[in-house]
Amino acid sequence: MDLQLALLFLQQGVASGLVVGSVYALLALAIVIIFKTSEVPNFAQGEMLMAAGYVALYLLVFRALPAWASISMTIVVAFAGAALFRRVVLTQVAHASGSPVNLVIATLGLSYVLKGLVRQTGFGDTPRSFPALVSTDSLMIGQASVTRLDLAILGTAIIVMAAFFWMFGYTKLGRAMRSVGMNPKAAQLVGVNLNRIHTIIWGLSGAISAIAALLISPKLLMTADMGSVVTLGFAAAIVGGFASLPGAVVGGFIIGIVEQLVGLFVSSRAITLAPFLAIMLVLILRPQGLFGGRVVIKKV
Amino acid sequence: MSKRATGRLTALAATCIAVMSLPVAGSAQEPGLSDKTIKIGMFAPLSGPNMAYGFDVANAARMYYDKINKEGGINGRKIEVVLEDDRCNANDLVAAVKKLVEQDQVFLLNGGSCSAAVVAAKDYVVRSKIPLIMLNASGDGALYPPTDYIFGAFSISQYAVGGSIVDFAAKTFGAKKIAYINHDDAYGVWNLEGSKADAEAHKVDLQVESISPTITDVTAPFFKLRAANPDALAIVTYARPAALLIKKAYELGFTKPIILSVTGTANLSQLVENVGSKDALKNFYVQDVLADLPGGPKIKWVYDMYKEAYPDLAAKPDHPQAYMPYGIPPAMSIVNALKEAGPQPTREKVLEALKKQHFDTGVMAGPVVFGPQERAANKSTIFIKFDGTNQVLQPGVYTSRWQYKG
Repeated sequence: MDLQLALLFLQQGVASGLVVGSVYALLALAIVIIFKTSEVPNFAQGEMLMAAGYVALYLLVFRALPAWASISMTIVVAFAGAALFRRVVLTQVAHASGSPVNLVIATLGLSYVLKGLVRQTGFGDTPRSFPALVSTDSLMIGQASVTRLDLAILGTAIIVMAAFFWMFGYTKLGRAMRSVGMNPKAAQLVGVNLNRIHTIIWGLSGAISAIAALLISPKLLMTADMGSVVTLGFAAAIVGGFASLPGAVVGGFIIGIVEQLVGLFVSSRAITLAPFLAIMLVLILRPQGLFGGRVVIKKV
Repeated sequence: MSKRATGRLTALAATCIAVMSLPVAGSAQEPGLSDKTIKIGMFAPLSGPNMAYGFDVANAARMYYDKINKEGGINGRKIEVVLEDDRCNANDLVAAVKKLVEQDQVFLLNGGSCSAAVVAAKDYVVRSKIPLIMLNASGDGALYPPTDYIFGAFSISQYAVGGSIVDFAAKTFGAKKIAYINHDDAYGVWNLEGSKADAEAHKVDLQVESISPTITDVTAPFFKLRAANPDALAIVTYARPAALLIKKAYELGFTKPIILSVTGTANLSQLVENVGSKDALKNFYVQDVLADLPGGPKIKWVYDMYKEAYPDLAAKPDHPQAYMPYGIPPAMSIVNALKEAGPQPTREKVLEALKKQHFDTGVMAGPVVFGPQERAANKSTIFIKFDGTNQVLQPGVYTSRWQYKG
């Protein structure tokens, strides 16, 4: 490979990696906010994204609603659905057994329910395209070729993440969420309503998944299995540090760029392998993730 | 023991052996065979998300059997079909096969529309020594290495899919360098092996990128292929990655011919929708395995027969399903083999007849050809130029050179 080609591949890899990485970062963020506050990895996050994508497709294509209405309704439906699941199902499961394993299994159950529901509608029988709301004309940035849609995805993801960090850092609700993440009992003692905060966090996680779905669906083709993209969100969360919000974002970009560079410089076959190699390397060299705190061993 | 007793015992043993070696009444008649009927066990996806792969294919085979029955049957016997739903799922398919063989006692099996599922039945079929003539599954995994009992790829084998696409690109565009993208699974390996045989024959340089069927971003593999400056792009993938690649090629201004394998063409109108613009299909060709365009004059009789046999289904907008005509060649193959086996057919006679088959179905691009080492029926394809609206048949039939070498 000559130097000029290597430079072209490098620029393209970084540009494309930032675009897809921004979506992985959003997904990682959605996973981490739930884990940080309840220590439950949400294995239905991918299916929440998939279901939100189909809701948007239904409203935008089959009901021909305007884009602004479809987008806002999708986000509201995703927020409400996820919050309802927390309020109705997870609360009951927690009361019934109190074992975190059962909560994890409940999220697995939700993933199957959502997949089944989409298949039942018939929309998931064939790969479907989600209409791009921004032009897909190409632009050159240096030697890298990206579309206007790519730039819109990256820009929107950054705005959403910035808004989320602002909310988390500078609002009363955000501070309450952080306190629940740090020490739920202490937070309750100072008047934080744990149930309400958990429900809002689940709702926010659903809404972030819906935004990720709206961003990535025009680039993927929609199928009932498209939720598998969440694996890369988990990879991003692990690389960044499972309990670190900035780590989740950086992890998303790292996974996106690594995927592209491995595809361009090593082999297309290795694209699917790259995130898992990154996870293994991080777990071996820095088990708490790049931005995770020190490993704390809880005494039983 | 006295000599007399020993003699008696010897005589008794000899009598027993003689009695045991006598033919038992009725055992000469094979399972599923009576004086008036031949029972054929069919299985196909009749429900579930993969129904489009085989529901109407099974219907096509059944209507052909009905036609033979109306014409008097085979050597005086009518064909009786027992049909099971396999849902294109390995577990359901193996259960259906076992039921057909053990409970329904069929004479032979005719089924399988999904390769991975039908390959799961291979061991049982071979152990049971029952002929299995697949419907439209390529089923390469069950065809190579060849066994005495399994015949398939009436639509086409995966080896031939890859080989014939290179044959087309080399002959039609004079391509000397072909960008070739396949899957990194067993299908992709078979496709590529066939392609390499034809690339070698045409002295074509294949630039290969193998991708996961679940790939979400095709930028990297497409960029690498484009950097090789190929004369044509051959996409040998399933429908979803194929649509992503065509879309990416359009976004990046790729203008060389794009050729899509039959594995990615289940629904062309959906493909147009998925690539986002008809402009993406300006220099676009799709592979097909029929003898003519779907509904074209050469195969119109199949569509007419379907309308007559299933008027209610034919009135529905999504019927006949795209693969419907693929059900005719395996049914023809079975009927020809049963005729060849004569008035007292046995499974062995039918299997011997199948191994020698060479006939033109009038439905597929190439003839059905089996041989001592050949269990894949069809190796030929046609190509259609598709601009998003119109389909124009390209001249010629393109065949894979790949041969099983053992």
